[in-house]
Amino acid sequence: MKQRKNRPSRQYLKQQNRAGYMFFMPWLIGFLVFTLFPFIYTIYLSFHKVNLNVLGWTTIFNGIDNYVTAFLRNPDFTPALIQFFLTELIYVPTILIISFILALLLNGKFKFRTVFRIIYFLPVIVISGSVMNQLMSSGNVQVGNVRRIFVYQIIESYSPELADVIVFLFNNFALVLWFTGIPIVLFLSGLQKINTALYEAAQIDGATSWQILWKITMPIIRPIVLVAAVFTVVSLGMFPINPVYGMIQNAIFDTVGGLGVASSYAWIYSLTILLLIAMIYVVLKDHSKDEYVINIRQQQAERQLKQVKRDQRRNKLHGLLLKKAGEKHEEQ
Amino acid sequence: MKSNKLNFVWKDSRLRSKLLGYHLTDGWIYRSAVYLLLVAIAYVFLYPLLRMLSMTFMSTADLINPEIDWVPQNWSLTNLRVAWSVMDMPGTIFNSLWYSGTLALAQTFVSAMTGFAFARYQFKFKNFWFMMVLLSFVIPVPLVLIPRWMMFITVQNTTGIKLIGTIFPQLMMSIAGQGVYSAILILIFFNFFKMIPVSLDEAARIDGATSWQVFYHIILKMSVPTIATVFLFSFVWNYNESYITSTFVRSAMKLMPLQLSLFDSIFERMSANVPGAPGGQFRLNESFKMAATLITMAPMMIMYLFVQRQFVEGIEKTGITGE
Repeated sequence: MKQRKNRPSRQYLKQQNRAGYMFFMPWLIGFLVFTLFPFIYTIYLSFHKVNLNVLGWTTIFNGIDNYVTAFLRNPDFTPALIQFFLTELIYVPTILIISFILALLLNGKFKFRTVFRIIYFLPVIVISGSVMNQLMSSGNVQVGNVRRIFVYQIIESYSPELADVIVFLFNNFALVLWFTGIPIVLFLSGLQKINTALYEAAQIDGATSWQILWKITMPIIRPIVLVAAVFTVVSLGMFPINPVYGMIQNAIFDTVGGLGVASSYAWIYSLTILLLIAMIYVVLKDHSKDEYVINIRQQQAERQLKQVKRDQRRNKLHGLLLKKAGEKHEEQ
Repeated sequence: MKSNKLNFVWKDSRLRSKLLGYHLTDGWIYRSAVYLLLVAIAYVFLYPLLRMLSMTFMSTADLINPEIDWVPQNWSLTNLRVAWSVMDMPGTIFNSLWYSGTLALAQTFVSAMTGFAFARYQFKFKNFWFMMVLLSFVIPVPLVLIPRWMMFITVQNTTGIKLIGTIFPQLMMSIAGQGVYSAILILIFFNFFKMIPVSLDEAARIDGATSWQVFYHIILKMSVPTIATVFLFSFVWNYNESYITSTFVRSAMKLMPLQLSLFDSIFERMSANVPGAPGGQFRLNESFKMAATLITMAPMMIMYLFVQRQFVEGIEKTGITGE
């Protein structure tokens, strides 16, 4: 009887369940129809030849033919995919670092703080595929020419590969900055949530601001870095700086290859993005928590082992004593 | 000895405390360095937009002239006028506004409902579904776009109702909570609704309110600023979205970003029909493109001028970061 009083009644739970699903229903239906089913169906389609005729859609199984088309027959796809992957690898860390630095700078109290914040957030409002295409095609995103800078020439003479990366980054530098809008806001809100007492305590103990940054700010902000990184990968994937995106769309309306080829493109592309997100997750995951848990578990296990051994020893001793006592008893 | 004395004077001087400050972050040197950095980065941020503005008002002669870099010599509004007519202007702007407005309304309402369900009710598999909401953000759009397109074609062919080229496919997706960045909107609502005290709900419950009444009279009415923020974000994202739109609408409806992406070809077609046009004047150049880009951005920028606070504080206040 006592237990039942604390637990919510079955009727209450039932009512909660029903009301919850009532509000949740539109999203659930949409998820099943517009996301989960398409997600699985695209895998199915990518192994089929798809045609539209009088009867509707017909699919004929053709094995991995679509993937062969994607990787071997289409000369543009593989280079575009590799370029996309490299772009993300270069852009995501750059965007994260720049937005973190900007957030740190904006976190202080000074004049015109709001003005700067408004400017840095402006790209989020105006950024769109076609706008970026037009700006890039008219050469307006290139701020200055890196090749003229002396330091660049030194780097180039040592390693041309690194120089290529730098040129790539600087030619689209304005664009890279345009993606920092939302990460800056995320970092800023994270920084403002940090308890200032932590900083004061560290200062009293004689920590420099550099140490405070690495030992206090960074570990606290880490989960936000993960969120911002995932957001950056996803939003970078949605813009025409990546050529694969447009290629998929052209393939949808292409009558020769058809939807089968388009879905194999889409699937390869999505795997690349999911791979990137998995990489980010592995790199930025909070390992310290795991280590902590593992440590505690190890200690527990060791303690248990000790206990078991102690018990065994005691039992042995007990047995011996009993035996001796029995012998004595018999002797008497 | 002398240097020691100097050092002593320097250490206590007013100049030092002003330049370097008691803490590093108080001094003039640090502050001016920060300002310099912020201004430099702001310049790079705005560089494409400034170039765009400058090019929009350049005449053809200015554009070719290598001596003119930023400020046009002969200011001209020809570019704007031409871009205005090529993009079929007042009509396109209204199309775009009501199109994204409708989608944003639907998206906001459904996100609020879903966020409410997650914030207030304990239903079965709640955690699983919450993971699915987060996961649906990560799934790339092209992956799910093809079957969606096939579905709408099938429905269109079997029922005979025209769907492709109208707002309905995207409206249905928005109503079903699968629009642009829907997961983020749901998260914003979820985090905000969690902060509203449950005792308010309970009080209404005791007075005999149903779930819908609680949702409408208490939750929604208390979160008007959040609703406004979510609506604005949804509006902007739907306005700027061109990938899904160009698949489902194609060229059946004139919308701003689509017109801009087709600008080059439309311009070519239209300029061929200009009777007796002087040779160079109606050749496509950067100025026309930039004018068109400016026109496309203008509505959102004007809106941003008035409601920038909602935008900048919106994401922060609602705490996507508080996982």
